[in-house]
Amino acid sequence: MSHKMRQRDSPDPEEQELDTDIRSIRAEIQTLQHRKRILTTSLLSTKTLKTHLNSAKQQQSQQQLSSLNDLSPLTTAASSHTSTNHHRIAFGATSFPFKDPSPNTTTPNLLGIRIDVCARNGRFAKPYYILLRQERGRGEKTKRLRVHRHTIPAFISVDRLEGTYLPFTRGKDDDSGSDSDDSDDDDDAGSGPVKKGGGKGRGKKQDLLAFVRELRRELVAWHLRSDAVEFLREKLGLLRDDGDEEDGETSRNDLGIVGFEATALEARYVRVEWEDGRIGRFKLSNSGKVERAVFMNDRGRDKQVEDAVMRGGGRIESLLERLKSIS
Amino acid sequence: MARLKTVRAPTTASLPNNLRIPSTTPALTKTLSKLSRPALLDLALIWLEDHNVKSSPPYLQPENAGDNDEETLPYPAAETIAEVRQAYIDLRDRKCGKREIIERILEGDWRHGISLRQLAMADLRYLDDRPASLRWTALELNRLDTKPKKKGEDTSISELDWSANIPRMQATSFVKALQSEIAPLVKAHYHLARSSTLPLTILRIFIIDSPYQTPRQQPEIFTDATRIIYIAFPDSCPYFYTSSITTSPAANASTTTGSIATDPRTLQRLVREAIPKALSRPHDRFTLKPTALAAKNLPTLLALRGPGRSTSSNGAFSIFADSALEGSPLDPRPSNTVSADEHMRGRDAAPMNEDKENADYPDASVKPVRSTKKRQSGSTTDGTLSPDSKKRRLAVESRFGTVGSSIAPAPLDRLDIRLLDTLNANSEEEADSDRNAATLTPAVSLTFSGSDVIGGIRKLAEMGVVDPERMPSWMTGEEAVSTAFIRAGKRVQVDG
Repeated sequence: MSHKMRQRDSPDPEEQELDTDIRSIRAEIQTLQHRKRILTTSLLSTKTLKTHLNSAKQQQSQQQLSSLNDLSPLTTAASSHTSTNHHRIAFGATSFPFKDPSPNTTTPNLLGIRIDVCARNGRFAKPYYILLRQERGRGEKTKRLRVHRHTIPAFISVDRLEGTYLPFTRGKDDDSGSDSDDSDDDDDAGSGPVKKGGGKGRGKKQDLLAFVRELRRELVAWHLRSDAVEFLREKLGLLRDDGDEEDGETSRNDLGIVGFEATALEARYVRVEWEDGRIGRFKLSNSGKVERAVFMNDRGRDKQVEDAVMRGGGRIESLLERLKSIS
Repeated sequence: MARLKTVRAPTTASLPNNLRIPSTTPALTKTLSKLSRPALLDLALIWLEDHNVKSSPPYLQPENAGDNDEETLPYPAAETIAEVRQAYIDLRDRKCGKREIIERILEGDWRHGISLRQLAMADLRYLDDRPASLRWTALELNRLDTKPKKKGEDTSISELDWSANIPRMQATSFVKALQSEIAPLVKAHYHLARSSTLPLTILRIFIIDSPYQTPRQQPEIFTDATRIIYIAFPDSCPYFYTSSITTSPAANASTTTGSIATDPRTLQRLVREAIPKALSRPHDRFTLKPTALAAKNLPTLLALRGPGRSTSSNGAFSIFADSALEGSPLDPRPSNTVSADEHMRGRDAAPMNEDKENADYPDASVKPVRSTKKRQSGSTTDGTLSPDSKKRRLAVESRFGTVGSSIAPAPLDRLDIRLLDTLNANSEEEADSDRNAATLTPAVSLTFSGSDVIGGIRKLAEMGVVDPERMPSWMTGEEAVSTAFIRAGKRVQVDG
């Protein structure tokens, strides 16, 4: 009903009002249902409930046990999911098996790696996935891992990372080092509910752990960089309206900065613009420092601002305070 | 308004922005009438904006000119720019046809001609409105390793910047570099603009084979589509797209009568080859690599060769790109109990906006309509479908992931497949005629075309025409290409 009524040509204002009411109530119901689901599943995985169930199991008679058993699949599913989540939160990189549905593939069993990155607002970004396949090189006995598919943003060169850490052709690294690394990796993932899928024939010179570590570092650094830019934009009051000049100058942002944004998606370079026409650009390192800065005013390079930006370790977070100190 | 007799000397400079094409050129009317009415009005107002008006000034009443024949014209010249602006704002509210607006532009306010820049803006506006109006080819920029890699360099690995594989581009300096690459060969006009609808920077290059600043060619040549190349640079990824050459054979024949260098095709190739050179810097060289993808739709290219997650996980793997499989680690619900739809939607808001406490609610408020719809459709199909077709639906879902569904649209308009299988590859009867069959590779080419090829194959699979379990993965769009050589169901690289 409300779908049809939603059209704007509905003439009766009263009807429209009722429609909006219905819509908002439906939304409310949905919200509450959502919340209920979250709460029930959270409740199922609580430790108290588990211990309670366990103690009940020991004490109760046989008939009551069956009713408890009905409940147990739910609790086991919930608790296994919780521990998966704990691994994802704590380690950030977990592995899982995946089966390639393609009938023509020679490597149907893929090793999936999931990387979780926590963003500034306390939420997790969409997980990143890499799927690795095992392939036998020419004249080799052991199988080696190769990147099959991934969801890493294009500015991080998975190809180059793969070339360095998962070389497909024969390398010259020492065997023992990477082997011990690998076993560590197995421990991390294996203790979790996520099973390691077919990591057996891993080539000796390949260092999966380092590959994942570097990749994750790069992803985290990217998120940190864009979060830092976002944080400074927030501080400058540039988030909501796009640089209303009079307002920005007087109330929210006494530095007179009207533009502060990353030049591209990877948030490596940040462009700053003042309302009096001064502009600047700086490079942000993976560790959150300003690596290089160029600021221009009417007469050319503005060394004072550049010094201020680079001073004191050049932390991005305190950039505005340093700029304030010179203005 | 007779032009002063100027000395014409060949230069290497680019064609000036303010080079005017006489507004009597019929081709101009054609170009402008491709645009919609609101787009035309928008465009005229953009031309009149403060920072544009210098390069595209409208015709104003001369200060002390007597009103000789001005009055008799249908569009008397305005006195100030503000007046012209107001005229177009008024036109917006008034009911009048597109024709009238074009007439006003060409015979009234820009009667002295449309500048090259204005023409470029009109073309780009058209591109924004109709992202599927051109055919695009995606190319990859590959960094050339100038230093041969040595084994002793392991110490520096940690300092390597893995996210530095994209050429850094500063628009104006890139255009300058490109100009100096092309200039000795052809004369060109460059216009660089940001797409208003997509995360793209589009460079429009108009090429002409004349060394002179004010070419004496027919004015029609300025609207000749074969002389225009569009290059689109998506943000933060090592790809770029060029508009493909769409010459009709007749037009091609007429232009090739001249020397080879004047053929638009050659000119376009020159420009294309100059791009990696213009992006390169000392010790930082790039080359071009074809990516076997051409499509009509810019959003498709962005999805398949763009900065995002879906660039290298398509087909069955699109569930990862859209993260339709699992939720955030903070979600207490086991992931198999949550619909894929919800996984994908719930996350969109997550990394970017809103404070976390309230973020769930706007999401939830969007849900009712869609999820009930989904449930309804699911239940009706479930109710009527046999277990066989249910199994098929699951198979289709596992093969196609989210591709071809309405949630992640990346329509391919054409898919060319060349099968390289030899005849005796899998049939035993021909084992005895090995000596003949070994060389017998029939040339089998398949060409699919339509508005959404992969989506169509998915539909066929859902209807049971195509066996979803046995079909090769190129049919699911997993390879994300539009031309492929296939051997034994797998894509192979064929040189040449």
